[in-house]
Amino acid sequence: MSQTPVRPDREAPPSTPRWVKVFGIICIGLVLLFVILHLAGYGRMNHTPGGNTPPAMGIENVGHTALVEHGGQQP
Amino acid sequence: MTMPPHWRKLALTAHVTFSVGWIGGVVAYLTLGVAAVTSQDTQTVRAAWIAMELTGWFAIVPLALAALLTGLIMSLGTKWGLFRHYWTLISLVLTVLATVVLLLHMPDVSFLADVAQEAEGARLDGLGGDLFHPGLGLVVLLVIQVLNVYKPQGLTPYGWRKQHEQRTVLLP
Repeated sequence: MSQTPVRPDREAPPSTPRWVKVFGIICIGLVLLFVILHLAGYGRMNHTPGGNTPPAMGIENVGHTALVEHGGQQP
Repeated sequence: MTMPPHWRKLALTAHVTFSVGWIGGVVAYLTLGVAAVTSQDTQTVRAAWIAMELTGWFAIVPLALAALLTGLIMSLGTKWGLFRHYWTLISLVLTVLATVVLLLHMPDVSFLADVAQEAEGARLDGLGGDLFHPGLGLVVLLVIQVLNVYKPQGLTPYGWRKQHEQRTVLLP
């Protein structure tokens, strides 16, 4: 692709486009929502509010998303 | 360095194929996730989790990595560059973010698929589904797709400097 020599008419870079600013604000909002939902437990794998499966199910929520089955192999 | 036209077309074809395939894989995964959440049938829930693990590891993960790799090749091998335009920069950041979250998330899916194979009755119901991550991931992938199709204008300060340098070199 040939480029036509054009004398630079500006010495300072253009300001950030409006769509980038709007996009950035939306992204920050979504990231915050993601973090809040994760902390509230909605992002965890079993998807029960609080992220805790009732102990009666035999599955216990440990840490972030790890579920540990227990009681299956009693001595 | 820009690629010759025939290489550029090949890279573009591969990139579009892997990217759209990634979206399709996530849609399939979401469908299975909905089945795991809503079905009352034990066999269906178990089968859904097993299929989610297989779809994740053998379709979505390879497609994500291939889409990222071909995206890098397309950016570096064409006039767009990686950091010159806001739309390429944002696409790169979102793709890397989606891939990292996917790779961090898949071990949990494998663990729950293993649990689903052995669990019974109420224990199996307690697993629920996996809609949050793929749902959010699908939104991110659609945003990337829109950015790649529309290519909204806007040079980054780095892109502006590079363009400025090129114009200065072209002028005697």
